[in-house]
Amino acid sequence: MATHRGIAFAGCLIHWRTSRIYNCIILTGHIHWEFYFRRTKEHTSTVFHLFMTAINLRFLPRLTLVVAALLLTLSATAQKYTLSGTIKDGKTGETLIGASLVLDSDPSIGVVSNEYGFYSLTLPKGNYNFTLRYMSFQTKQITVDLDSANVRLNILMDPEQKELKEVTISGKGNTLKSAQMGMTKLNIQEIKALPVLFGERDVMKIVQFLPGVEAAGDGKSSFYVRGGGADQNLILLDEAIVYNPSHLLGFFSTFNSDALKDVTLYKGTAPAQFGGRLSSVMDVKMNDGNEKEYHVAGGIGLISSKLSVEGPIVKDKGSFLISGRRTYADMFLKLSNDTNINKSRLYFYDLNAKANYKLSEKDRLFLSGYFGKDKLGLGTTFGIDWGNATGTLRWNHIINDKVFSNTSLIFSDYNYNITLNVTNLSLRIHSEIRDWNFKEEVGYYANPKNFIKFGLSSIYHTITPGSITGSNIIQYSQPDNHTWENALYASNTWKPTTRLTVDYGIRLSMFTVFGGVNMYDLDAKGNIKDTLKYGSGDVVCHYIIPEPRISASYSLTENSSVKAAYTRNSQSLHLISNSTSSNPTDKWVATNNIIKPEIADLGTLGYFRNLKNNMYELGVEGYFKYAQRQIDYKDGANVLNNDALEPKLLFGQGRAYGLEFSARKSRGKLTGWVSYTLSKAQTQINGINNNQWYNARQDRTHNLSVVGVYELNKKWTLSGSFVYYTGDAVSFPSGKYNINNQTVFYYTERNGYRMPAYHRMDIGATKQLAHKKHFSSEISFSIYNVYGRQNAYIITFQDDPNDPSKTQALQTALFRFVPSIAYNFKF
Amino acid sequence: MKFLKNIILPFIAISLISSCQKVININLNKADPKYVIEANVVDDTTGCTVKLSKTVNFDESNVFPAVSGAVITIKDLTAGTTYTLPELRPGFYRDETATGVPGHRYQMTIAVDGKTFTGEGQMPQHVAMDTIYRTIGVFDSVTAISYYDPAPMGNYYYFAEYSNGAQTDNIYISSDDFRNGQRIVQNLNRGGGDYEPQAGDYITIDMQCIDSAMYQYYYSLRQTKNQNAATPANPVTNLQGGALGYFSVHTSSRRSVIIH
Repeated sequence: MATHRGIAFAGCLIHWRTSRIYNCIILTGHIHWEFYFRRTKEHTSTVFHLFMTAINLRFLPRLTLVVAALLLTLSATAQKYTLSGTIKDGKTGETLIGASLVLDSDPSIGVVSNEYGFYSLTLPKGNYNFTLRYMSFQTKQITVDLDSANVRLNILMDPEQKELKEVTISGKGNTLKSAQMGMTKLNIQEIKALPVLFGERDVMKIVQFLPGVEAAGDGKSSFYVRGGGADQNLILLDEAIVYNPSHLLGFFSTFNSDALKDVTLYKGTAPAQFGGRLSSVMDVKMNDGNEKEYHVAGGIGLISSKLSVEGPIVKDKGSFLISGRRTYADMFLKLSNDTNINKSRLYFYDLNAKANYKLSEKDRLFLSGYFGKDKLGLGTTFGIDWGNATGTLRWNHIINDKVFSNTSLIFSDYNYNITLNVTNLSLRIHSEIRDWNFKEEVGYYANPKNFIKFGLSSIYHTITPGSITGSNIIQYSQPDNHTWENALYASNTWKPTTRLTVDYGIRLSMFTVFGGVNMYDLDAKGNIKDTLKYGSGDVVCHYIIPEPRISASYSLTENSSVKAAYTRNSQSLHLISNSTSSNPTDKWVATNNIIKPEIADLGTLGYFRNLKNNMYELGVEGYFKYAQRQIDYKDGANVLNNDALEPKLLFGQGRAYGLEFSARKSRGKLTGWVSYTLSKAQTQINGINNNQWYNARQDRTHNLSVVGVYELNKKWTLSGSFVYYTGDAVSFPSGKYNINNQTVFYYTERNGYRMPAYHRMDIGATKQLAHKKHFSSEISFSIYNVYGRQNAYIITFQDDPNDPSKTQALQTALFRFVPSIAYNFKF
Repeated sequence: MKFLKNIILPFIAISLISSCQKVININLNKADPKYVIEANVVDDTTGCTVKLSKTVNFDESNVFPAVSGAVITIKDLTAGTTYTLPELRPGFYRDETATGVPGHRYQMTIAVDGKTFTGEGQMPQHVAMDTIYRTIGVFDSVTAISYYDPAPMGNYYYFAEYSNGAQTDNIYISSDDFRNGQRIVQNLNRGGGDYEPQAGDYITIDMQCIDSAMYQYYYSLRQTKNQNAATPANPVTNLQGGALGYFSVHTSSRRSVIIH
């Protein structure tokens, strides 16, 4: 292989090109209406005008009906009082997400604390005994007198005394009754015992052990959910979209687990407040910081080190957290004798910061931010750097005992820069995607049978497709692409009987495309017929997509339930890539007149059963997904030049279905889970594979994960994991020929072959070194791929170097027996 | 992109872990043989040349059956003349007197075994290479060449590399997208092939001015060769009738350099 030679430069001029309009499609339910907004000179309508017209004409009556229906389910009865407050960790003051407060006399009545620890429950007047539960915290009994007035009760919970090594996934007890399907919560404290590559505790890699979730490749942090692509996952960090959640070409995620509090993954069945991606939502929340005392925590690992500082700003009123991480693999590169290696730069760093302050009993302000950067380069000749930055300003306001409001202003940015300085040529390429997002959400705890949520989200996207500057070249810059993504939503969690819980709601997703960049009109063959010019403020087109969401849970017995759900999701920003690895230069492209929003309908049905007082949780879930307007490049498309993108694309449909089995043990010395998924994922695009359905690359028939943690004694905890999955569907040659004196391989069908099956076992051990009040430390060891399986990362075909008359297949495997050691401390 | 594969993977592999490569056996399907056409019209004494062969299965040896008995005509649509190419040896058809003229449009028709394949193209303006030398690139020494790009936008170049008379497997292409209408000094890198020049090699670069369809062909041929696209596919041909390969109408300017 000709290594160390190539350099891609001008080619990388990435253009997040968008285009123009003609027909704008509005979809609702099973009916498609096509509207044609023809551009005229008088076309000066503002976006708002278009919005409101569309909403008034088509949707306002429907929306009114939905809201009316929501309200009708509220029953009016006699004298009632409300119990409300915030649930917190008594030791650190961190608010607890998802703690459950259940009435002892009727376990069907209860409430779960929201993302900010708030809860509210309205009951007829009387005396009540409650049980408060939260994973790895001591269960608490609470007696409340609701005889004469509303009660405001802030509750502190104490952590369990034992070592926190249990792997607990998803809230205990509540999962059976909750209507939410396909949702998993990871508690960061409790995944620390698992063995991981290079000792980096990466939540995106832990998520890959869950049923229905597949790793994107050996060692990769990105993942596929239920047959969808990696770009169809909405990755949120404190509500901000993270456009490229990976470092070092995808081997590490942007999430430093020391700074995180809670990770929730929705496998396509997210509630109405989430939207914008087809396959899943990974909602990551940062720690708020200890509001009682100062702490420093850190870790030293093989390739990175990290340090966090947290503490009160004013005790019990506000706190802060700052956490940083940097890799130092590049230090070792400097030791090399090879000048190509020792001149190299190869590192990344992350910085997470968060502060919050309680303005009053009813108001709390949060400010959080993330900044990360990857740098890669060779001396002064070549460099590429990329990174995300996000910022969230959030205001929690308790309007009254029953109504909670959250208002957020969010900034999100992803950019990359490429520089090249060689003889005769120097250039710099810059590209960026930037969001400003306003969100408002109101939660109304109407009564024990109804919890209503409604809100709006408005995101203004700016995509800088790529500018190129330098000497000896033509300076080049494409205008920015502006789009506006809005959503209105409302949902209700309704518990009509003790056995039935129904979540229903609707999200109205709206996407507006502005002019200022070239839009095209294509002929039937996909060639450009006309270039359409719009002014930068002109509305090119907009799309309105109603997304109904409904899920229901019915308890068969005290220990078993069936659930069903239907969800529609749409996606208006698309990551278009034709490479096997995740490249920092993969393009995010906005919907326009030709590239339509992707739409997916997902139906799921499941049966869940708990055994031995919830020690064992068993579940089986089936799903079917149908996706419209899936996007792919035409065969051989030149993805690097400056030409219009639209003629290089093809649009089609996708379908995925599967069965997910899971069994987990959540208490005892041995904890862990087994998950197995049997699935199919296919795509059909006219112009690819003779227009026939073909297997998506991520179509993996079997996918098995086993995760176990064993607490040997107070000092030692052992862990292990095993994964097996069917190899990716890939295109291999079915023949060969000679052209220009070289052997070229001949391909017949898309993804007609399979990579070899993937399997791997990892083991780990953690030893508690010191465990005192003011200092604790631990050391962990792990081995990734302990039996050294050569898992195929890529298979290539070539002439046999020893016998040029023959050709051969060459398999490259990456990670075998990767040991790691990490030391973590806290004081 | 290739450079990422070239830089990152070896780095991660070398400095951190034990990656490894091995030859494996894969049971690949057999495919019906397809016709493969390598057709060139050149503005020098090479004239018109067509190589006609067929695909073979992956597990067979690299002997590609020549296709004889084809009737091949090349028509100069601008001048109205037609050339019929004689078969000089099995599968090799040439008329050296049919010299291409820049600006002229050509149409090729191949009739063989009851099938017909056609192709069309226009010869771009001739651009001469003025220098060739070896220089230091980002990683290694590379061959550099220079030429004046004509003023109109839309010039495409293919640099065929020959080592000691045999064409190498590097595919160098360039367009004037970013450097239109100036004197271009260009390092030939990112060829994607296995060929590494050795001391003493006599390297000839044949600079061809090609049309955009041929640029697209070589771009996608390199992509197919590199096998780093998520979904490898056959190069985008400019031929009609279902054959693999190309019909290239191009100018030629050659210069040579010896590797020290």
